[in-house]
Amino acid sequence: MDYFQSQDVARKKTGLLVFYFILAVVVIIVSVYAALMAILSWAATSGDHETAHELTRLWDPGLFGLVAVGTSALIGGGSLYKIAALSGGGHTVAELLGGRLLNPAETTHPEERKVLNVVEEMALASGVPVPPVYLLEEEGINAFAAGYAPGDAVIGVTSGCVRHLSRDELQGVIAHEFSHVLNGDMRLNIRLMGVLFGILLIGLAGWIVLRSSGGGGRSDRREGRNIWPLVGLALYVIGYAGVFFANLMKAAVSRQREYLADASAVQFTRNPDGIAGALKKIGALAEGSQIQNPHAEEASHLFFGNAVAGFGQLFGLLATHPPLVERIRRIDPSFDGDFSKVLMEPITSRTSEPAPARRPERFEGARMFSTAQAVARVGTIAPAHLAYAAGLLETLPRPLSEAVRDPLSAQATVFALLLDLDDSVEATQLSWLGRHAIPAAVRETRLILPDVRQLAPESRLPLVELAAPALRRLTPGQLHDFLQSVDVLIQADRKVTIFEYALQRLLYRHVVSHVVRDKPPAVKYTTASPLAGPVSLVLSALARVGHDTPDIMAQSFEAGAEALGWHNVRLAPIVDEPIGIREIDVALTQLAAASPPLKKQILEACAASIGADGRVTVEEGELLRAISDSLGCPMPPLLASGEVPSPA
Amino acid sequence: MSPVFAITAIVGILIGIGVGLLLLILYGVGVYNALVTLRNRYKNAFSQIDVQLKRRYDLIPNLIEVTKGYMQHERETLEAVIEARNKAVSAQQVAAANPGDPTAMHNLGAAEGQVSGVLGRLFALAEGYPDLKANQNMLALQEELTSTENKVAFARQAFNDAVMAYNTQREVFPASMIAGIGGFAPAELFEIESPKEREAPRVSF
Repeated sequence: MDYFQSQDVARKKTGLLVFYFILAVVVIIVSVYAALMAILSWAATSGDHETAHELTRLWDPGLFGLVAVGTSALIGGGSLYKIAALSGGGHTVAELLGGRLLNPAETTHPEERKVLNVVEEMALASGVPVPPVYLLEEEGINAFAAGYAPGDAVIGVTSGCVRHLSRDELQGVIAHEFSHVLNGDMRLNIRLMGVLFGILLIGLAGWIVLRSSGGGGRSDRREGRNIWPLVGLALYVIGYAGVFFANLMKAAVSRQREYLADASAVQFTRNPDGIAGALKKIGALAEGSQIQNPHAEEASHLFFGNAVAGFGQLFGLLATHPPLVERIRRIDPSFDGDFSKVLMEPITSRTSEPAPARRPERFEGARMFSTAQAVARVGTIAPAHLAYAAGLLETLPRPLSEAVRDPLSAQATVFALLLDLDDSVEATQLSWLGRHAIPAAVRETRLILPDVRQLAPESRLPLVELAAPALRRLTPGQLHDFLQSVDVLIQADRKVTIFEYALQRLLYRHVVSHVVRDKPPAVKYTTASPLAGPVSLVLSALARVGHDTPDIMAQSFEAGAEALGWHNVRLAPIVDEPIGIREIDVALTQLAAASPPLKKQILEACAASIGADGRVTVEEGELLRAISDSLGCPMPPLLASGEVPSPA
Repeated sequence: MSPVFAITAIVGILIGIGVGLLLLILYGVGVYNALVTLRNRYKNAFSQIDVQLKRRYDLIPNLIEVTKGYMQHERETLEAVIEARNKAVSAQQVAAANPGDPTAMHNLGAAEGQVSGVLGRLFALAEGYPDLKANQNMLALQEELTSTENKVAFARQAFNDAVMAYNTQREVFPASMIAGIGGFAPAELFEIESPKEREAPRVSF
C-alpha cells in the first residue's frame, strides 16, 4: 500500500472512529438513563406509595432528555477540550511527556548530535520537512512521533535510546517512527487521545459524586434512600467501562499498525539488524521501554514500544504493542527469545560518525535512479535515497553545515543562494540588503557566499531543507522581514527562475506553515475533469523544461498525459503562449485542493513527463520538487543523472 | 409537586450546574495551557542564546593563547579577560538552568557586559601590535567572535520577544489569577549592560 492509498485509508479510519465514538456516547447515555431509572425506582420503593405509583413507567422522556444532554455535554466538551489542547501540534504532546527540544546548533553532546543527524538524513531522504526532535529524560528505550500532518511532525526519543542504541539501531527506530509520520497515523492517534479523555470524564464525574456523597446520612432521608452514592457509583462504573472498551479498540488498531511500521523500517533501511537490535535491547534492558512520566498512559499508542506495563495490560488485550518476541521474530526468524545474550554495550561519547562500511557504495548506487521509481516512492524511503542523504550530509562543507543550524546564518545562506551571478544585479541586491536587512545578516551573507557558490546545483534545495529547522526558530516578526528580503532578492533581476520558485514553495511548506500554523487546503476536487486546465499547463511547463526540440516536448507531454490515466479528460498542450511562474503557481494552487488519489496520478504524470527523454536535469528536479511541495506531498530527492538506465 | 418530578428537577439542575462548572474549569485549563506554551517558547528561545554564548566563551581561551605570544606585557588585560570570561561561564550555567529568572538574567547580562568590555580593551590594545593584527589565527578568531556576538544579539531579540509575549499573557485578566495559582513567575528580559567606559588605549612605542 503506498502513501496515497494510506492517506485515503487514514481518512476513512477517522470516519470509522467518529462512528464508534457516537455509538459509545449513545450506549453511555442509555446506560446512565437505565441506571438512574433503576436507582430512582429502588429509592421509591422505600418511600411513600405516591412515588411507587409514579414510577410504573420505564420511559420518562424528560429524564432521558436530561441524561442525553448532560452526558453529551460532558463527553463532547471533554473531547473537544482535549483535542483543542492537543491542537497545538506534535510539540504539545512532546511537552506533555516532559520532552526537551534539541537545538540543532548545539554540538557539544555527540549523542544528541547523532540523533539529530539520523533524523535529518531520514527527512532528506523522504521529503518530509526536518522535524523538531525532543529528548525525554527516561531510562527506558522508546521513541514516538506526533503531529497532525507530515509537515507538522515531531519526533521524540528517550535518553535511554541515546545511551544504549548503536547508530544503525537508532536509525531503525527513527525509520519506524517516520513510517507513522508518512502513513498519516499521527492525526488519528491524537484524535483518539481526545475522544478517550471525553469518555473518561464520565467516570471521573461519577467518582466525584461518589466521594462527595458517600458519607451517608444526608438530608434526603425523608424522601427514601440516599440515591447519590449509587448515582456516583453508576457513573463511575459506566465511565470506566467505556474507557475499557475504548482502550480495547485503541489497542487492537495500534497493534496492527506496529507490525506494519516495523516492516516499513526494514524496507526503508534495508537493514533488519537495526530495528531488530533495538527491539532486542529493549527486551534485555531492565526498564525495557517503560516511560515513567504520568502521561505515558494516554499517549501509550504513540510510542515505539510498550510505554506502560503491568496489570493494565490484561493478558495482552489492552497492550498497544504486539509482544516483543513476536515483533523480533517477524524481522529475525532465528531469534530464540533469550534476551540474556543481547549485548548491551554502553555507547559512550563517540563522535556521531555515520556507519562506515556500507555507506560509500550505496551512495554510488543512488546516482542511477529512474523517475518512475521516484514517484512510486512518494511517502516511503528507499535505501538509495537514505544513502544519498547521508552522502550529502557527509560531503557538505563544514561552514555550510554550521551555517544552516543557526537562525541568523541560515537566513544569510538563503540570501547567498539568491545572489545573482551577474555582478550588477548582485550589487543591487547587496545594496538593498545593506539598507534594509540587519547588518549582521549582510555580513554573514558575504562570509558564506564563496562556500555557497561552490555547492553543486542539485544540493542547493536540500541545503535549504536543512536550514528549515533553524528558520522555524524565527519569531513571526523576524520571519516576516526575512521573507520580504527573499522576495526582493528574487525580484531584483525581474525574473523568477525555477530554482527561486522552488525555494519559495519549499520555504512555505517547511517553514512558514509551521510558524503561522496554516491548515492544509481542504479537498475540493475528487473528479479529474475540473483539473484538466491546470494539469495541462503544468505538464506543458514540464515539457518545456529540460527539453530542446518541439518534438521532444510533445513527446514529453504525451508521456505525462498517458501516465495520468484520465481517459475521459482531454488534455491539450500549450504550445504557443509563454508559460510563466505565475501561471504555474495559479495552476498548482488549484491542484493542491485535489484528493490524494488524484494527486498521486498528477505526480506520476509529472515524473513520466520528466523521464520521457531518459534524462533528468537539475531544473526538472527543482520543478518537480516545487510541484510536490505545492501539493504537500513528501517527495524524495530526484537525482540528476546522465542516461537513466532501466530499473534494476 | 410529585417527588419524582422534584428529583428529576434536582438532577437536571445539578447537571446544569455541573456542566457550567466544567466549562469554567475547561476555560481555566485552556488559559493554563496557553501560559505553559508561551513559557516553553521562551525557554527554547533561550537555548539558542545559550548555544552561542558557549561558543563565544570557548573561543576566548584560544584568543588568549594567540595574543599571549605577542602581548607579553599586557598581562593585566589578559588576566582580566580570563577572569571576566570565567565569571560569565558560571553566570551562563545558572541562567541556562533558569531562563527568564530575574536574578539569573541580570547576572548574566552584567557578566556578558563585562566580557564585552574587556574584550574591547584587548582589541584596542592589539591595534598597537601589527604582527598580531596580521596573524591569521587572530584574524579568524576575531571574525568568529564577531559572528558569534551577532548571533547572540539576534537570539536575544527572539528571546525577548518571546518573554514579552509570555509576560503580556500572564498579566492580562483573567489569566493573571490563573498565573498566580499555577506558579507562573514573570520572566525577565535579557539585556546586556553596556560595558564600562573603555579606558584610553595605552599605546607604547
